[in-house]
Amino acid sequence: MCGIIGCFGRGDDTLDTLVDGLEKLEYRGYDSAGVALAGETLAVCKTAGTVEELRSALGARSMAGHVGIGHTRWSTHGPPTDENAHPHLDCEGEVAVVHNGIIENYQPLRDELEAAGHRFTSDTDTEVVPHLVEEALAAGESPERAFRSAVERLEGSYAIVALVEGHDGLFAARNDSPLVIGLGDGTAGDPNPEQFFIASDVPAFRAFTDQVIYLDDGEFAHLDGGLTVTDAEGNRQSKAVNTIEWAATETGKSGYEHFMLKEIHEQPRAIRQCLRGRVDERSATVDVGEPGELSPTGVQFLACGTSYHAALYGAALFRDAGVPAQAFYAHEYATAPPPIGDDLVVGISQSGETADTLSALREAANRGARTVALTNTVGSTMDRECDHTLYIRSGPEIGVAATKTFAGQLVALNLFSLAAAERATTRRAVVPALRDLPGDAQQVLDESNAEAVAAEYDSAKSYFFIGRGLQFPVALEGALKLKEISYEHAEGFAAGELKHGTLALVDDQTPVFALVVGDGEKARKTIGNIKEVEARDAPVVVVTDGQNDAARYADHVLRVPASHPRAAAILGNIQLQLVAYHVADRLGRSIDRPRNLAKSVTVE
Amino acid sequence: MAISTAVVLAAGEGTRLRPLTRNRPKPMLPAANQPILQHVLDALVESGIDRIVVVVGYRRERVQEHFGSRYRSARLEYVVQEKQLGSGHALLQARSVADGPLVVVNGDQLVDSEAVSRVVDAYEPGETVMAVVERPDANRYGVVRLEEDAVVELVEKPDDDAYRLINAGIYAFGPEIFGAIEETPRRDGELILPDTIERTIAAGSVRAVRTDGLWADATYPWDLLDVAEEVLAGGRTGSDPDGIWIDPDARVHEQATLQPPVVVGPDCEIGPSSVVGPTVALAENSTVGSNVTLSRVVVDADCRIGHGSTLLDAVLGQNVHLGPAVTVAGGPGDVSVGNRIFEEEALGAVLADRVDVGGGASFEPGSLVGPGVRVATGVVVGGNVGEGAEVRR
Repeated sequence: MCGIIGCFGRGDDTLDTLVDGLEKLEYRGYDSAGVALAGETLAVCKTAGTVEELRSALGARSMAGHVGIGHTRWSTHGPPTDENAHPHLDCEGEVAVVHNGIIENYQPLRDELEAAGHRFTSDTDTEVVPHLVEEALAAGESPERAFRSAVERLEGSYAIVALVEGHDGLFAARNDSPLVIGLGDGTAGDPNPEQFFIASDVPAFRAFTDQVIYLDDGEFAHLDGGLTVTDAEGNRQSKAVNTIEWAATETGKSGYEHFMLKEIHEQPRAIRQCLRGRVDERSATVDVGEPGELSPTGVQFLACGTSYHAALYGAALFRDAGVPAQAFYAHEYATAPPPIGDDLVVGISQSGETADTLSALREAANRGARTVALTNTVGSTMDRECDHTLYIRSGPEIGVAATKTFAGQLVALNLFSLAAAERATTRRAVVPALRDLPGDAQQVLDESNAEAVAAEYDSAKSYFFIGRGLQFPVALEGALKLKEISYEHAEGFAAGELKHGTLALVDDQTPVFALVVGDGEKARKTIGNIKEVEARDAPVVVVTDGQNDAARYADHVLRVPASHPRAAAILGNIQLQLVAYHVADRLGRSIDRPRNLAKSVTVE
Repeated sequence: MAISTAVVLAAGEGTRLRPLTRNRPKPMLPAANQPILQHVLDALVESGIDRIVVVVGYRRERVQEHFGSRYRSARLEYVVQEKQLGSGHALLQARSVADGPLVVVNGDQLVDSEAVSRVVDAYEPGETVMAVVERPDANRYGVVRLEEDAVVELVEKPDDDAYRLINAGIYAFGPEIFGAIEETPRRDGELILPDTIERTIAAGSVRAVRTDGLWADATYPWDLLDVAEEVLAGGRTGSDPDGIWIDPDARVHEQATLQPPVVVGPDCEIGPSSVVGPTVALAENSTVGSNVTLSRVVVDADCRIGHGSTLLDAVLGQNVHLGPAVTVAGGPGDVSVGNRIFEEEALGAVLADRVDVGGGASFEPGSLVGPGVRVATGVVVGGNVGEGAEVRR
C-alpha cells in the first residue's frame, strides 16, 4: 500500500507538482517519501517520514528536471528508513523506480542479480526492478525494451513507474495495483495535451486536469510528450478518456483541524449525493439502475474493516426482505469460499482497490457468480471487474478512518435492497426516512454533545459498544473507529452476547456505549443488557432516539432524531464517530494518519 | 491597480435574524436557494478575484462544509475569529495571510460583481476606496456623505432622513489598514471597521465609488422574502426567461402549477394540484404535498409541507415538518423583536429550523416560532414561541 506519482511537461514546476501530489496521496501511506527528477542527470531525494519531512529535506538542495516520479510509502518489506524509501536506483544511479504492490518472486530475482554483481542498498522487494532494467540496458536493449524485459520477470502485484537517465519520458506498468493517467492542461477533449500525469489515484493531479485514462492489468504506458499504451505483447491499445466529475476543491482541509472532522461534517451532503435522483417518495420507488433489477435469490457480501460492518448491515436488510444473505470477511472467503449456488456476490470497498476484496470477488467470479461492486471510486479495479456497480457517491475521503463513506455505504445498501428485493410496504416506510436522513444527520451534527461525553471518558481502560439488530454493526463500527484513531482498546458486541463471556471484563473503568432505538423488543432487551453492565458499575452512555426509556439507565445520553431503525443506525453512528474523534483529539493522536494504518489496503 | 485577494467577513451570527441563526450564521441564510455568502463569492470571482480569505466564527463548520477549499476559480482559505468583537477585529484576523492590497466585503449582504470591480479599478496604493449605493431607506443602514468622490462623513443609522447614500460594505485597502485598525479606539469592547475608516478621512484618503447594481441586506427574518424577490427578479438563479427554475433532479407533478418567479431545488417533490408561486424559493430535498398553496414563501432545505396546506408570506428554516392542512394566512401583522414592535409587516410567520407542526394548525400574522418547537394538531399559534417549546391546545 503506497502512493505513486509521475509527471511530464510541467517544466520548472515539476518538483512542486510531484510533492503536492504526494501530499494528496498520503492517505495511502505516510511512513517515508521520495522523488526523482530527470534533467541532464538523474537526481533523487528520499527520506523516512511524511511528505512534509521530504519537503524540508528538499529545501536543503536544488533539483531540476521536467520529468519526474514520486512515492509515499506504507511499509511491507523492510522498516521505514531513508534506504527503504522509494525511488529505488540501479547500481549506477541511472534508473529510478517507484512501486506500489508486492513482488512475490523478489528473493530469487535478488539472489540472481546479486550473483551477477548488483549491489542492493535496501530491504525492499522493489529494488530488484531498477537492477533488472540496468541488466537489460547493459545487454543493449532500448530503455523501453529494457523496462518491459524487467517487468516481464515480475510476479505479484504492481503499479510501477520508472525513469531512465538520458531518456526524456516515463515508463509505467500495472498489474493488480491501481494506476491512472491524467491528460493535458485541463481542457476537456483537447486532442494534443502537453502535460501528462500518472498516479495511484486521481486526487494527486486533479488540480491540473479532469481527463483521465485508467490503465488495465498487464498494460504498459509510455509518457514522452505523447502517450502510448500497449498490452503485454506490445500491441497498441486505444483507451477511453474519462472525465472526473468531482472538483479538486473537495480534497482540501478547508478550515477543519482534521480531514476526519471535515468528512464527519460532510455526511449530510454525502447522503444527499447518494440519494440524488434515485428515490421518489410519492410513489415509494427506488431506481439504482442495473443492480436494482437483479432479483437475487441469495446474496453474499464480501468486505473488510468498516466495509465489513456495512456488509453485515446490508445482509440484514436482504434477510429482512426474505432473501437469504450473509456477510463474509473477504480474506477468509478468498481462501475458503462457501458454496455459492445462484447467489449474487457483492463486494464492498470504498476505494474499489482493496486487495483482499478483489481477490475474493475473483474467486467468486471464477466459480461463475454474478458480481456487484459497491464502491465510492469510479474506474476502480472493482468497478471494472464486477458485472454491475452501485456507486455510493460520497466524494473523496482522505482521513484514514472511514466516516462519510460508511454512511454512504449504508444508504446505498438501503437503496439496493429496496430496489432489488423489498416489498412496497417496507419501501413506503423506508423511502421517507431516507429522504429525511440528510436533515436528521445535520441535526445530530448541530446538536451533538459527543465532545463533552468524550471529555468524561478519555482515560478509560477499555470501551465496549453494544447494539442489537441493525444497531449491532454500528456497535462494531463504533469500536473500530475508536481503536483506529485513539489507539485505545475497544470492542463491539451484539448486545445479547456480552453476558456470554466479555461481561467478566466490565467494571467501573469500562464505559459501555449502548445503541437503543425505537420501543420494540430489541430496545427492551438491550435495556436489559444495559442493566447487566450497570450492576457491574460500568458507566453507561446511551445512544437513543428517545422512543424508549433507556436514558433512565444512562450516565450520559447521545440523542438522535426519531426515525426508522435503518436510518437510526446511520445517525447513531455519527455520534460514535464524534466520540471517537474527540477522544483521539484529547489524547493528541495523529487522527488523519493513525500509526500502522493506510486508507486502502492494496496488499493481501 | 490589480487586486487579487479578497477578505470576506462571515464570522458574525446576525442576532437580529434570530431565530433563524440558531444553527448557522447569517451569511448561510438563503437568498433564493443559495446562501447569501454564495452570491458574495460569485461577485468576487466574477470580478477577477482568485484568492479569498473567509473570516469565520459563529457556527463556522456550516460555512466551511458548504464551500470547502475552492469556490469556482478561486482558492478559499479560512481564518477564525474566536470571539465576535466587531468588523475591524474580524479583518485583523486575516492579517497573517493577507499582505498586498485587499478587497474586503461583508459576507452577509448581497452585492454584485460590478460594484466589486469598480472598487478594485479605483484603488490606488495608500488610500481607501469604498462602494456606496443610493437607497430611499438609507437611514436604516450606515450612511455616507461625499464631497465630489471624497468621503467626508460616515454615520451609523442616522436620525434624519437627509442621507441617500449608504455604505455598501465593499472596500479596497492597502496593508496599512491593519495598523490603523489596531490604533482605533474600541467601542463597547469592539473594533468597528467604519470607525477606522472615519479616522482616516481627515487625511483625505478615502474615496467612494457609486454603484447601482444589486445590493440587498436582510436585517430581520422577514427580509429574506424581499431578498428572495430581489434575487429572483435579477434572474440570478439561472437563465430561464420564464422565471421558473426547476432543478433537473426535482420531481414536479404534471398537475402542479408553478407561477413565476419560482425556483425549485434538487430532490424536491411537488404533488398534484399544488399552486407554487409567485415568489417562492424551495430549497433542496423539500416536499410539497398535494393541493398545497404557496405564495411569497421561502422554504429552506429538507422541509415537508403536508397536503392541503396554505402558506402566504412565510419563511421556513431547515427541516421544518408541517402536517396536512396547516395554514399561514399571511401579512400584514405586527412582529415583536426584543422590545420593539414592527407594525404591519408583510409577514405571515417565520418557522425556524426543525419546527414540527401537527395537522390543521394555523399561525396568526407576524408569528415568530423558534427552533425545534412542536405544535400540536389544530393549535392556533400567535406571537413569539421560544426554542424547543411544545404548543398544545
